[in-house]
Amino acid sequence: MNVGTAHSEVNPNTRVMNSRGMWLSYTLSIGLLHLILLSIPFVSVPVVWTLTNMIHNLCMYLLLHTVKGTPFQTPDQGKARLLTHWEQMDYGVQFTASRKFLTVTPIVLYLLTSFYTKYDRVHFVVNTVSLLTVLIPKLPQLHGVRIFGINKY
Amino acid sequence: MAESPATKEADGEEVCRSLKNGLKPERNGSARSLHRNRKRQNDRRCQADEEEEEEEETTPQHDSLYSRPFTESFEETPMLVAVLTNVGYVILIIFGYLRDLLRHWKIEQRHIAREKEEQKDFVPLYRDFQNFYTRNLYMRIRDNWNRPICSVPGAKMDLMDRTSHDYNWTFEYNGRTMKDVINLGSYNYLGFAENTGPCADSAAQVVRTYGIGVASTRQEIGNLDKHEEMEKQVAKFLGVESAMAFGMGFATNSMNIPALVGKGCLILSDELNHTSLVLGARLSGATIRVFKHNNMQCLEKLLSEAIIYGQPRTHRPWKKILIVVEGIYSMEGSIVRLPEVITLKKRYKAYLYLDEAHSIGALGHRGRGVVDYFDLDPRDVDVLMGTFTKSFGAAGGYIAGKRELIEYLRSHSHSAVYAASMSPPVVEQIITSMKCIMGDDGTSIGCKRLQQLAENTTYFRRRLREMGFIIYGNDDSPVIPMMLYMPAKIGAFGREMLKKNIGVVVVGFPATSLVESRARFCISAAHSKEILDTALSAISEVGDVLQLKYSRRLTQNAPSAHLFAENMFEDIDD
Repeated sequence: MNVGTAHSEVNPNTRVMNSRGMWLSYTLSIGLLHLILLSIPFVSVPVVWTLTNMIHNLCMYLLLHTVKGTPFQTPDQGKARLLTHWEQMDYGVQFTASRKFLTVTPIVLYLLTSFYTKYDRVHFVVNTVSLLTVLIPKLPQLHGVRIFGINKY
Repeated sequence: MAESPATKEADGEEVCRSLKNGLKPERNGSARSLHRNRKRQNDRRCQADEEEEEEEETTPQHDSLYSRPFTESFEETPMLVAVLTNVGYVILIIFGYLRDLLRHWKIEQRHIAREKEEQKDFVPLYRDFQNFYTRNLYMRIRDNWNRPICSVPGAKMDLMDRTSHDYNWTFEYNGRTMKDVINLGSYNYLGFAENTGPCADSAAQVVRTYGIGVASTRQEIGNLDKHEEMEKQVAKFLGVESAMAFGMGFATNSMNIPALVGKGCLILSDELNHTSLVLGARLSGATIRVFKHNNMQCLEKLLSEAIIYGQPRTHRPWKKILIVVEGIYSMEGSIVRLPEVITLKKRYKAYLYLDEAHSIGALGHRGRGVVDYFDLDPRDVDVLMGTFTKSFGAAGGYIAGKRELIEYLRSHSHSAVYAASMSPPVVEQIITSMKCIMGDDGTSIGCKRLQQLAENTTYFRRRLREMGFIIYGNDDSPVIPMMLYMPAKIGAFGREMLKKNIGVVVVGFPATSLVESRARFCISAAHSKEILDTALSAISEVGDVLQLKYSRRLTQNAPSAHLFAENMFEDIDD
C-alpha cells in the first residue's frame, strides 16, 4: 500500500469523484436516505423532504468542505494537508464535470423539496439557508478562503 | 519548480478532449494519421454488443507499422460492481470513524503513535486523519503484504508462518514455514531466481575472487573489469553502441533523468508511469505534461502543441522534448505502442526514453525486449533503460544508447558519482544469465526458457479469460492483472489463495484507482504446466466462492457458441 506506485497521480483523492459509478452511487444513496426517512411513521411528506435536504446538505458540507487533507500520505509532502476535498478535486481546476454535478445536485434536491413542501414559508427559509451553506463554499472565488479563520488548520 | 499539477492536468485534459480539427480519437487510442493504408478489421466474435462499453483494441493486421496483431483489452467495470464497491468503501469509512470514536473513548486499544500528554497543546506532530486509511483499512488486511520468504523466490517458495492476535497490528512467528508455496508474484520471468545452476556457480566463484563489496563509487576506485565486461555484454545484448549499469533500478531512473533534462525542457510522460520515472522527472526541474495511457492521439496533440506554442510564458522553443514511456506497464499489463511512438518522435524530432523494466528478457522472440517484440531498430530509441531485477535474477539497472550519451552519463549522473558500484557476484549473475539468454554459453537453455515463458503466458491468459475473469492488458505480456474491485475481496483473495498454498500479490487503492483493485500474477518460465494448472484450478475455486467472474463476454469455448452455426447471425450489422 503505497500511494502512486502504479500511476503518476500524486494525490489520488483528486480522482475519487471521477471514478466509475461514483455519481450513480451518490444519487442512489440520496434515494436511500429519502426512503429511510419516509419510513418513519407520523412524519409528513413535506417534513421528510426538508429533512432529506438538510441531512444531505449537512453531510455534504462536512465531507466536502470541512474535512481537510488526505487519509493517506501522499508523495507531494502534504501540499493538500490544509485543503478540503472540494478544493482538492481535480487539483483545483474549476468547472470540471464532477464539480458541476456536485453543484447541480443540491439545487435539484432543493427544487424538489420546494415543490413537495408546497412552498411553505418556514420550510422555504430552512431549505434556502441549508442550500446556501452548501453552494457558497463551492464558488471559485472562495477557493482556499477561510472566513474568520474557521477550519484553517 | 515544474508547473503546478493544476496546469498540467488542465493541459492534458483539455487537449485530449477537444480536438480542434474535429477528428474523433480512435477507440483504441492509436492516431489515425499514422495508419494511412489501413483496413478495418471485423470483429470475429459472432455477437458484438454495442451497448457494452468495453475497449477491445485490435489494430489491423495489414498495417505497415505493426508486424503482428496488437490485442489489448481493458474491459469496462460493470456498473453494479462499481456501485457495490463504492458502498463497500462507505461502510468501511463509517466503521473507521466508529472505531476511531471507540478508541478516543478508550473502549478500544490504541496502537497508532500518539503524542505525549504534555505536548498536546503544541502543533500536532501526528495528524490523526493522515493515517485514517492506514489504521482502518490497510491494517485489517495487512497480512497479505510483506510476507517473509525464507527460500529462493523461484517457481515455488517457502513462507514463514505468522499469525496475529490483535488484528494485524503485531505478528507472531511460530517457527514453522509453509513449504512449496506456488509463487505467482515474483518478477521471475525467465526463471533465473535460482540457487543452483551455472549462474549461481559462477557468481559463487566470483565472490572468491573479488569479494562481496566494492567499497567505492564508479568514478573513484570502484570500476572493476567485471563492470566493463558486463556493460559491453549489455550493449551487445540490446544491439546498441554502449551501456552503463547502476546498482539500483529505481535510482537509475530517478538519478539519470535529471542528468538528461533540466529547466526549459519538456517531459511528456504516460499517465501510468512508475514512481521512479515520476520522481526523476520532478527532480529534474523540467516541465511535465501527462498524456493518457498509451493514447497516441493525445501524445501527438501534446507534441504538436508543444512545438507550436513553445514554453509557457515566453513562447521560446523548448530545449529538449523527452517522451518517457515504459515497455510493459506492470499494473495494467499493457505494452506501449512503440512503432507509433517512434514515428511520432521522428516526425516531431523529440527524444524517447524507454523504460523496459518488465519487458527486457520477457518479450520478443530473442528476449531483447519490446524493441525486439515489434521488430524495430534499437537505434531509434534514444535512451534505453531497463532493470536486471526482473528477468535476469540480479539487481540493478542500466541505461543504453549512443556512445556519446553514455560517456556523458558516466561523468554527469548522480549514481555514477555518488553511489557505490554494483557488487561483483551480482555483476557475474548478469553476465552469465545474459549469455544464457543469448545462447552464447553453448546451450539452448535461454531459448527454451523464452519459449516456455511465451507459452505459459498465452496459456494462462487464455484459461483465465475462459473462466470468466476480467483480465487487463496485452495478450503477450507476462504480467496479468485480474480485477477484484471490492475492497473486502482484496483481503479475501490473498488469504484464500494462501490457504491453498499459492502466493499472490494484491493491490488496492491508493496504489490503483478507487474502484479498480486487482490481483497481479507474474508468469515465469520456471512454472511448469502442472503448476499453472494447480494454480488455475485454485483460482477458479476461489473465484467461484468470492464471485470474481465478472466478465460479460462470450468466450470461445462457451457451450452456447457451439449450438449455433457461424453464419446464423450474419445478417446482423456490427
